[in-house]
Amino acid sequence: MSREAEIRQALREWVVKTSGKIKPQELDDETPIIERRIISSVHVLDLILMIEHLSDTPIDVGKLKVGVFRNINTIYRNFFAESPDGR
Amino acid sequence: MSSTNTEFQKLVAKLCAASEKNYVNPYSRLEWPDALDRDQWFMSPELISLHGTEAYERLSDSGRQKLSFYEAVNFFSLNIHGEKALVEGLARRLYLVENQLISPYLHHFLDEENKHMVYFGGFCTQYAGGVYPDRKVAFAREYAEGEEDFLFFTKVLIFEEIVDEYNVRMAKDKRLAPIAMDINLIHHQEETRHLAFGRKLVREMFAHHVKEWSEEVLDRVRAYLADYLVATWKEYYNPDAYRDAGLDDPYGTHVRAFAHPACRDHRRSISAKCMNYLLENGILDREPAL
Repeated sequence: MSREAEIRQALREWVVKTSGKIKPQELDDETPIIERRIISSVHVLDLILMIEHLSDTPIDVGKLKVGVFRNINTIYRNFFAESPDGR
Repeated sequence: MSSTNTEFQKLVAKLCAASEKNYVNPYSRLEWPDALDRDQWFMSPELISLHGTEAYERLSDSGRQKLSFYEAVNFFSLNIHGEKALVEGLARRLYLVENQLISPYLHHFLDEENKHMVYFGGFCTQYAGGVYPDRKVAFAREYAEGEEDFLFFTKVLIFEEIVDEYNVRMAKDKRLAPIAMDINLIHHQEETRHLAFGRKLVREMFAHHVKEWSEEVLDRVRAYLADYLVATWKEYYNPDAYRDAGLDDPYGTHVRAFAHPACRDHRRSISAKCMNYLLENGILDREPAL
């Protein structure tokens, strides 16, 4: 499995485990996890810790753009891909 | 709140008088040593987040004391972040029509929370070179009537109830460095009043709004508060503190410690008073898994 695939898999597993509201087969990388209230703001602290661990880079929450936690794709693009798109 | 307005007014007047009588100058209240000997305790060992875990058992006495320093920095940092949000929220609510009754006390609340940040920030800046970053994020959403205010004051209460349990224990723990004891003591003395205010206000607000809220809103409020309790506790297990204390695998230590039965027992014990309050008043209908 590539590093990207491993990270996406870890993120999907985190969402399913943390939320308790969605089954693995119901979640894809475009599922809007905040908009559909699968994940709430109080869960994001945990998500940030995991992203920091996986990317080995601290996150400055004051500089986060709107929508970075929208789905697995936006999380991957903003915190792991070389060119964050801010979407 | 109208049926108990007089009673609440009396409490506000009493708390205002106590704040005026015990007014503190934050710049002269504490004696700050130029430097701290790190071979001493800054958090009570039993309150260190890893206490009872294998990771803690593996540390030498000196390693545990070093960890206690960074745990204190984390404890003070999360207080600063909590109080920043509190000050912002209190200031926004000053003199709103619905808050006329409590506005006199909100002035003291704001003043005292600002002073607390002077103490906490002073310790972190002078001895640790700064405050650990905040990782909380808020998303804008729509609220039912009264829901946002209720969640604001209830979150404040939950946060302060947990912190106060730590303050009470450390304010009298003579093993601690005097500056750490003193900061805990002064914080507890003022928080006692904030807690009396918060318990009364949250109870009244809930009794008022619950009659109007739908089952869906009530379920949402309860689920949010249960999640908030867990998130609040997660901040006590900060990988940054573990990294600075020289521990291997800070994130793994965070995950393992949070799941450890000894740590879960600790969280339940510290949260017991707060949990009883939330359950007795019907704010929560079941105890969340901490």
